[in-house]
Amino acid sequence: MSTQHAKKANEFVKLTDVVDRHDATFWAVRSKRDRMAHEVPEWEDLRAAADMIKKHTVTHLADYLGRFAENARRNGVQVHWAKDAAEYNAIVLDILRKHDVKKVVKSKSMLTEECGLNDSLMANGIDVVETDLGERILQLLGVPPSHIVMPAIHITREQVLECFRGHGIIEKNGRQAADSMGGDLKTLEAEADPTFLTRCARYHLRDNFMTADCGMTGANFGIADTGEVVVCTNEGNADMSTSIPPLHVVSMGIEKLIPDYKSMAVFQRLLARNGTGQPTTVYTSHFRKPRPGTEMHIILVDNGRSDILGNADHWQTLKCMRCGACMNTCPVYRRSGGYSYSYFIPGPIGINLGMLRDSDSHYGNCSACSLCCSCDNVCPVKVDLSTQIYKWRQQLDSMHHADPMKKTISEGMKVLFDHPGLYTSALRMAPVANVVPSWLAGLAMKPWCEGHDMPVFAKKSFHQLWKNGLKEDSQK
Amino acid sequence: MKVGLFIPCYVDALYPEVGVSAYKLLRSLGIEVDYPEKQTCCGQPMGNAGFQGKSEHLVKSFDELFSGYDYVVAPSASCTAYVRFFHPRIAGHECEAAGKTVDLVEFLHDIVQVKSLPAKFPHKVSLHNSCHGVRELGLSSPTERNIPAFNKIKDLLKLVEGITVVEPERPDECCGFGGMFSVEETGVSAKMGLDKLKRHIATGAEYVTGPDSSCLMHMQGIAAKQQLPVKFIHVAQILSSGL
Amino acid sequence: MTTEEIILSNLRGNVRETYDMPTLSFGKLQYPDPVGAFITAASTVAGASVIEAREGDDINELIRKAYPEAKIIASNLPGVKADRNPDEVSSPQELDGTDVSVVAGTVGCAENACVWIPQTMRQRAVCFICEYLVIILHRKDIVSNMHEAYMRIEMPEMGFGTFISGPSKTADIEQALVYGAQSFCGVTIILV
Repeated sequence: MSTQHAKKANEFVKLTDVVDRHDATFWAVRSKRDRMAHEVPEWEDLRAAADMIKKHTVTHLADYLGRFAENARRNGVQVHWAKDAAEYNAIVLDILRKHDVKKVVKSKSMLTEECGLNDSLMANGIDVVETDLGERILQLLGVPPSHIVMPAIHITREQVLECFRGHGIIEKNGRQAADSMGGDLKTLEAEADPTFLTRCARYHLRDNFMTADCGMTGANFGIADTGEVVVCTNEGNADMSTSIPPLHVVSMGIEKLIPDYKSMAVFQRLLARNGTGQPTTVYTSHFRKPRPGTEMHIILVDNGRSDILGNADHWQTLKCMRCGACMNTCPVYRRSGGYSYSYFIPGPIGINLGMLRDSDSHYGNCSACSLCCSCDNVCPVKVDLSTQIYKWRQQLDSMHHADPMKKTISEGMKVLFDHPGLYTSALRMAPVANVVPSWLAGLAMKPWCEGHDMPVFAKKSFHQLWKNGLKEDSQK
Repeated sequence: MKVGLFIPCYVDALYPEVGVSAYKLLRSLGIEVDYPEKQTCCGQPMGNAGFQGKSEHLVKSFDELFSGYDYVVAPSASCTAYVRFFHPRIAGHECEAAGKTVDLVEFLHDIVQVKSLPAKFPHKVSLHNSCHGVRELGLSSPTERNIPAFNKIKDLLKLVEGITVVEPERPDECCGFGGMFSVEETGVSAKMGLDKLKRHIATGAEYVTGPDSSCLMHMQGIAAKQQLPVKFIHVAQILSSGL
Repeated sequence: MTTEEIILSNLRGNVRETYDMPTLSFGKLQYPDPVGAFITAASTVAGASVIEAREGDDINELIRKAYPEAKIIASNLPGVKADRNPDEVSSPQELDGTDVSVVAGTVGCAENACVWIPQTMRQRAVCFICEYLVIILHRKDIVSNMHEAYMRIEMPEMGFGTFISGPSKTADIEQALVYGAQSFCGVTIILV
């Protein structure tokens, strides 16, 4: 009775060094986040406010979207609406074709990942260059992200060096990178020095910024009052992508909307502190109008979000701002890595979003939760993550995805627990016959015993002890 | 005050001495204790496995069995949390018994407000703050939240003569039991347990103690398999050690 | 129905319960000395340098002292000696190779060293494309927290503004913190 997640995770945990590094990396982020949370006296007030602002906004989303679109148009921005991934990809392609775009520089966007934009553009002959360093490394390696905020954290510096060598980046940009550090090229290359590699990427991407025809960004927030979008980065890649090419295309999930600057202040204070443990991202950039002589487009994407709003159990996932804190704190994510999950967003929020996207493909992630509830406590907008995972488990049977063994055990438990007489006689039998009562049958199964020694049954259960003395004592 | 003692199924079968300790402690405080014999389980194993529906009958019986008491006390944080927060959801209405079900630590700390105990335990113990105790019942302040720090278990253990209480690094990280989780996600569960155990052992403690026998059972199973030198004891056993 | 209408009507139809906007009246972090707190935050966690200009200091000298090796300086600020003017270049690409850009900040925030830089030049690339950025900020424009900062900022006619807190950075390779990712490698804030 192993789920898809469990099978992959069971392989991953065998690589002790890799698991321990992965765990230590994200625990360090979680610890930095805790320090930030404790430095702000009104931290819990901020979380409560963020929760309420999001609840308010998503339950008035049609009104806010209308206002946002109207203000954006007034600012000279062209606004588009996409019902699903296909319509979204078609809109992007159409805009790019009208401008005869051959190369796009793109800053990190989970929405474009969700919609498979890069593949769609490449298939149509458009060169897409990811400009977030981590995303660029993954793009060159041809592998998906393992985390939504630190997507390439599982790649070693040696792998990055090999990758850059393979793509001619060291050869082309290595000299300039070494010079910018005042260091020796051969030594830096031999050490796979992270600063050197970052600088190589800097100059490699600089070439692309100079020659791109379009810059694409996501949006961390859309502000209804002003019709502007806010993009937060540390690398400045969103700003480089949008201040040089003559076209800026913004892709924004409709749930990213907030009412006004007052709300923005709340989220600005929470996002980086909670996500990476920094007091702020380096850049919090507000895009309201196209640059003089250029065009700006905003594509508002639904892709299932308006349906989620109608889901009584799961609508609060719409509050999520993709800070990544729930995966950083998740003890299961930290020990199973991003690739054990079938959905591209791992961890607690990814389990839920994957199920909402396509339960047939992603039900295998529902086991990846010990229900420790730590995610609920770090979530800056108070998404009830663990409760939602518990609820998905209740639905698996009706979706025909329940594990038959678990069902048998649960049915056995039902019979036993519903019949106290049967329960007590099973208990009486247990120590004598050395037979494991069926409600603990799971613990007798082989997989559990690979990691554990079996618990030893008491000679007499509490039930028996009660009857043989305690009961009498209690009546004294 | 009349208390109904709820001894969850695995405590009943595997750790009856924990139940006896809880019983003795309550009696020593002059509290009338009864143990309704028709009790079985809180239903959590089915719920976590995705078959909450199969515990509907059980939830109803629980309410019938325990409604007549002033409090329902269980020496198990996780089962208590399940009864208190999940029974009403399963039943679809408020449950009288669930509303007054408390963990032994909560009962002693908040309701009886014990200020002294005759207990002696001259050992170093590492406190296992189990997830549902921390994040559902609020036995201690969760490390994730910016609220004033407190720990009700520690407060009680401080009343014990001779004891040294320490906490591991990552004081409230999950040990990886999670009921059916440990059967379904064996690799991750065992790894989490081992990591947790190593942190408990690193404190130099002789014992790991906590309010949940389920977590202790999980770690004990791993410690035995790996032959790690540490013992396990439920908080109730330490608090009742002078009785 | 257009896609817009479909989405909006689906949203309206799917709302079950509505929630009010909160008042946001909770107490907010205040520093007894916001300027001092700003300097600490900027020069530690944000990784910037701060120069406290005194009465009579020459801005151009301060810039020269901070970056003595700079060959090309870009700015449109009156009184700043510059080799390139972002209002006058014919394309943003022409700003590539800038060693130091000098821009004006209008609000500084003590809790995180963010400085609001409104786009007051034709080519905003000047703010990002340089190797080093110099920000000129008035002490009186420093506030304690982001709530106050968002009350004070103004969006310029150009329709772009950004909060900047220190140099561009990344930790994408094995979590090693590296300054100078895609944008400037260092920041100097001159407090006037």
